[in-house]
Amino acid sequence: MGLGFLVGFLGFLILIHAAYSTIQYRGLLKITEEEFSGPPLNVVIEVTLGLVLCMWAALTVPGKFLSIHPDSEENRIVSLPANLDFMIFNHRYKVFSVELDVKLKH
Amino acid sequence: MVTKSEETQLNSLENQVDNGGGGAWEYLCLIRKLKVRRSDKVLKHGLSILNDPKQRSTLGNEEWTLYEQVAVAAMDCQCLDVAKDCIKVLRKRFPESKRVGRLEAMLLEAKGSWELAEKAYTSLLEDNPLDQIIHKRRVAMAKAQGNISVAIEWLNKYLETFMADHDAWRELAEIYVSLQMYKQAAFCYEELILSQPTVPLYHLAYADVLYTLGGLENLQTAKKYYASTIDLTGGKNTRALFGICLCTSALTQLTKGKNKEDKEGSQLQSLAAKVLEKDYKQRAPDKLPQLTTALNSLTLSS
Repeated sequence: MGLGFLVGFLGFLILIHAAYSTIQYRGLLKITEEEFSGPPLNVVIEVTLGLVLCMWAALTVPGKFLSIHPDSEENRIVSLPANLDFMIFNHRYKVFSVELDVKLKH
Repeated sequence: MVTKSEETQLNSLENQVDNGGGGAWEYLCLIRKLKVRRSDKVLKHGLSILNDPKQRSTLGNEEWTLYEQVAVAAMDCQCLDVAKDCIKVLRKRFPESKRVGRLEAMLLEAKGSWELAEKAYTSLLEDNPLDQIIHKRRVAMAKAQGNISVAIEWLNKYLETFMADHDAWRELAEIYVSLQMYKQAAFCYEELILSQPTVPLYHLAYADVLYTLGGLENLQTAKKYYASTIDLTGGKNTRALFGICLCTSALTQLTKGKNKEDKEGSQLQSLAAKVLEKDYKQRAPDKLPQLTTALNSLTLSS
């Protein structure tokens, strides 16, 4: 968990730094009076790196993924619950009582 | 609904508890959550917790839930003294409670004093005419006395008011199946599939009913529902696979000599048979010869 947060924070810092350097670059262009054609290469690399780190953190920090397939082990229904609201007591225990001798003592 | 992973969890926990490995409370909680009927185990392990003052005090308010659970389990095992004691404790703690009143009426039911139980339920219903569980108990009581037609009548009346109660629909379907009233049962299963379309077991039960009804159209529909069961379970339901094989052979027998050859059907059958063979090889190799002869007789007869 701690590692995920750290990586996410780092990615966020990198993204902020990329934004800052883009602004600086545009300021520089204004001074040299050149046309803005695209961000410089190091900013592109920085943005990609930040994106990857943030994405990794966002996928790991919140927790595990749950399966949505109906036939996976977690979702495959193998038996219905016993219909306990309709349970009736006429069964074999009425004839064969339980061997264990139990008592509620207080 | 009990899923595969929950079932394995329950089984391993049961093993652990039975061998004295602790975790009885977790086991009882899981039983409550999954709504499975293991009354003898609940009685044994629940009482061992209740009889130990130290363990009981750690439960806090959950203690009373456990008393209720054990009381119902004791009734189910016909240990009426234990049930009576549990209810007495609960009555002392909650003197005005309707829920305890219901338990007392259930105890009368377990004793077999139907008239007294009926009276108790009627008086409880007067206070709260929309108590679903009491309505259901009255249906169950009629069933326990053997008045199946009365049970059906009450259940139908109940379902007019509480149409979304799928447990009641299931109960009605099972009663109809037990009376061999398959058309009515099919209607109930349709209702169940509509309300919970992702539960494969309803598809399976519906297909079973349709197959039992027979006839060309019903068999075709049954095959479709067996196929949807396979789709929802990823081919791990043996009954549905057998159902496909039986349906196809019955269909080919019906349409023999008539019009076109149903190519898709035979393909489906051979696929299902292949999966069955693989499954048997993996889980029960000694029964494989029996399976192959059964499957061969199915294809030969078609």
